Amino acid sequence: MNTEQVSVLYFAKSAELTGLKAENITVPSNISSLRLWQHLETRHPRLSVLRDQVVLAVRQEYVPLGEQPLTLRDGDEVAVIPPLSGG
Amino acid sequence: MDDTVLSLKTQLLEKESEIVALKKKLAQLEKGNSVLTELQEKVINLPPLKSNTALNNEDIMRYSRQLLLPELGVKGQVAISNVSVLVVGCGGLGCPVAQYLAAAGVGRLGLLDYDVVELSNLHRQVLHTELTQGQPKALSAAQAISRLNSRVQCVPYHLQLSRENALQLIQQYDIVADCSDNVPTRYLVNDACVLTGRPLVSASALRMEGQLTVYNCRGGPCYRCLYPAPPPPETITNCSDGGVLGVVPGIMGCLQALEVLKIASGQGSSFEKQLLMFDGQEGRFRSIRLRPKQAECAVCGETPTVTELQDYEQFCGSAATDKCRRLNLLTKEQRVSVQEYKAILDSSAPHLLLDVRPKVEVDICHLPISINIPLSSLENKKTEHLTLLKDTVSDLKQQMSIKSQVPVFVVCKLGNDSQKAVQLLEKMSGEEVDQIAVKDVVGGLMAWANKIDPSFPQY
Ligand SMILES: [Zn+2]
Repeated sequence: MNTEQVSVLYFAKSAELTGLKAENITVPSNISSLRLWQHLETRHPRLSVLRDQVVLAVRQEYVPLGEQPLTLRDGDEVAVIPPLSGG
Repeated sequence: MDDTVLSLKTQLLEKESEIVALKKKLAQLEKGNSVLTELQEKVINLPPLKSNTALNNEDIMRYSRQLLLPELGVKGQVAISNVSVLVVGCGGLGCPVAQYLAAAGVGRLGLLDYDVVELSNLHRQVLHTELTQGQPKALSAAQAISRLNSRVQCVPYHLQLSRENALQLIQQYDIVADCSDNVPTRYLVNDACVLTGRPLVSASALRMEGQLTVYNCRGGPCYRCLYPAPPPPETITNCSDGGVLGVVPGIMGCLQALEVLKIASGQGSSFEKQLLMFDGQEGRFRSIRLRPKQAECAVCGETPTVTELQDYEQFCGSAATDKCRRLNLLTKEQRVSVQEYKAILDSSAPHLLLDVRPKVEVDICHLPISINIPLSSLENKKTEHLTLLKDTVSDLKQQMSIKSQVPVFVVCKLGNDSQKAVQLLEKMSGEEVDQIAVKDVVGGLMAWANKIDPSFPQY
């Protein structure tokens, strides 16, 4: 199974819950978006509260959480974006 | 004698210039008021906006610098003057939105806000002033706007947007800017825009980050397409507890105004299928490509289940305000009032006062005898903080003559986090630390400032 190193960016509440703004992680190159999210939840269990609201973006494009496979490449950017509501 | 005369003359001059300044201010306010539609406490049906087909000489001079843009031109400017925009929320986002839309010459500007101006608003809500503290924000903003451009029809609404009034209000406007500060209002505005077919230019900001998307516009998604389920209330951070650097909503509000003007002048928005994110700390913008509107969306989909407005506070499980909620997690026996705690403090009885706020808040103000262990450290069982707690408790235990439980009082800003901390500490008592008797101080340090020590800072 091929693996790739991707860069995960955490925004808003996800940065608060993980204590990180960014990290590099190694994941299988063929992985579903749901598995990718579960992988992040395993690393940071507190992220689970965001599951139903989070916008997950791969290479700056929205991906719905589900079974559809992603093809990740080395250096890809994954962004975890919970909504902000303040103003 | 000469000195006295001189001093009196100086004082007189100062007073005279104060009078001149006051008269000028009064004249400005009166001028502002004269062109305002009066403050609306409920939604009424406005007469339709008078349609312009050309610009007069004053318009040409006033808007000359933007008329020179080929993207806008006379046609675009005339279109802008025929557009009405509803600004929902006259806070950190709404102020710059209203300001730039008025400056650019929109026909009618609805300004909606239920709150009044407070001192802690002024760092970001730049239309309000020290002089308008205590006034409805909608009125304060409308006065500022009418001083800027008296040709804009400004309608201030001092009311809470609700399922009863939202459709009637929103259908009277062409474009809606969501500048609100809470989740229930965001769903309400979204659904009302979908049901009335209005484009929704939506932005939000917190701390040093901002987001912007245009919803329900030319095949793009609505807010529910992106966020079908509301966030659990406990995961929402608002500006009054998370903080916000004033210029960040300023930047997002300016971008909102830009998108409104592009839509109004027929150029179309760049963010109909994009989520723009601004990270002020990194100084970086990122744009995430979104999917088009979703066939299964509950409100804008093919078989919608939301066909009329709902109870959004119930749907979201939180109130339509950015004020902090009051939690009630503890029994009466687990709590003391600030008066009771003051008596304990005065009696010099051995006890521990534990302040569970984040360090950044403790730096603003704290009670000298307290030790600081943030709630998050208790939740994550942070080793250095657990050691500090354990050592402090066992030192106290040695000082106490009788072998009873060490009294621990927990305090935070308003008395919510302190209750969560009491629950955590009770589980730790006799395990990670010696036996302790834990209580929280009701109302926290703000109650202390209000009822015990008026010199204690409030924030
Ligand atoms: Zn939708």
